[in-house]
Amino acid sequence: MKTFAQLSIIVVLSAAAAGATYLVRGAPSRRLVCDPTTLKRDEVCLDTIKDRSSYLWVDARLRKDWLATGLPGSILWNLDGAEDMQAFEAETATRLMETPRVIVYCGDENCGVSRQVADRIRLLGLAEEIHVLRGGWRALKEAGLTRNSSPGT
Amino acid sequence: MKFALGLWMAFSSLSLAGGLDFPETSKVVHAPADAKTVSIEFSFSNQTAKPVTIEKTDGGCSCMSIQIVGEKMNYAPGESGVVRANFDMGNFSGEVDKGIMIWLKGDAAENPSIRLKIHVEIPVVVKVEPKTLKWEVGGQPESRTFQITMEEKKPVRILSVVASNPLFTYELKTLEEGKRYEIKVTPSSTSAPALAIFHIKTDCEIDKHRDVQAFASIRKTSPGEKATAR
Repeated sequence: MKTFAQLSIIVVLSAAAAGATYLVRGAPSRRLVCDPTTLKRDEVCLDTIKDRSSYLWVDARLRKDWLATGLPGSILWNLDGAEDMQAFEAETATRLMETPRVIVYCGDENCGVSRQVADRIRLLGLAEEIHVLRGGWRALKEAGLTRNSSPGT
Repeated sequence: MKFALGLWMAFSSLSLAGGLDFPETSKVVHAPADAKTVSIEFSFSNQTAKPVTIEKTDGGCSCMSIQIVGEKMNYAPGESGVVRANFDMGNFSGEVDKGIMIWLKGDAAENPSIRLKIHVEIPVVVKVEPKTLKWEVGGQPESRTFQITMEEKKPVRILSVVASNPLFTYELKTLEEGKRYEIKVTPSSTSAPALAIFHIKTDCEIDKHRDVQAFASIRKTSPGEKATAR
């Protein structure tokens, strides 16, 4: 009986500590955190990009997502089998002549398509810089950059 | 008190230990050039002393669908199952790395218990090197060459080459019928930036490898950029 009483005290104390933490610090943050020390070689944090307009932004999500919530001015290049890869290549090459710095983003940090697309853009040999955005579209959304956006504007 | 603490810690660790055992957590797949999809299976078993429930799976992109074979989501101790990943190769080529995440009951949304890796190697049938021929603005308008190699066992022939910009003249040369070709490209001038897209049509039997593109560009080299014209 004594053991159960002690166990109950431990449980109550743990719950109280958890509750106090919640009250003091609030609910756990679900916001994306970009730690520069954990970036892969070609990744970039959104808040370290100084002049966003000097980059060609490439959306690696599905066409419907790009049309609905793509970054203004972005172009589409995904690996969907229904898409025309040659059209993506041609448009990107044309745009790179004017804007040779590229940032590719896909849905979130778990989406690997942006790196594949970045590799393909790298193969074109026309870009001076190619980065993959850590956190992808989620990072752009949290920064308020995709709200009411429509690509190509 | 020590006993109570011990009991508490044992209970806590037991609640975290619930999981599935995967003998292999990463696989390498060599996909055929004409494959539209590849399926990769991972077997697993519940080596814990309590039932485990798979709550959800994620293949990271629309190109990867994940199935739990038999749609069985609950596994009693000792039971085993199979996770099948169906990779829609779409327009992927070369080497592709994909990840699969599996959440078990009780996992935090951002921290699935299980992460599996797949490395898919997809052959390139018509290889063009370099992808882009480059000239610098104001540079010598000398000829440069695309080398085209057919990586299939069966011969693949070039049927036509069309350039999008008349500033560039070109000449197709067969080095070995069905195997090796070259296209010699010459700009008439390098006085201003320009881009040409070369559409190369082949008789490859595999749709997605039939047509390829290459580029020729004349542009200013930025101060930090090394001249890479070939």
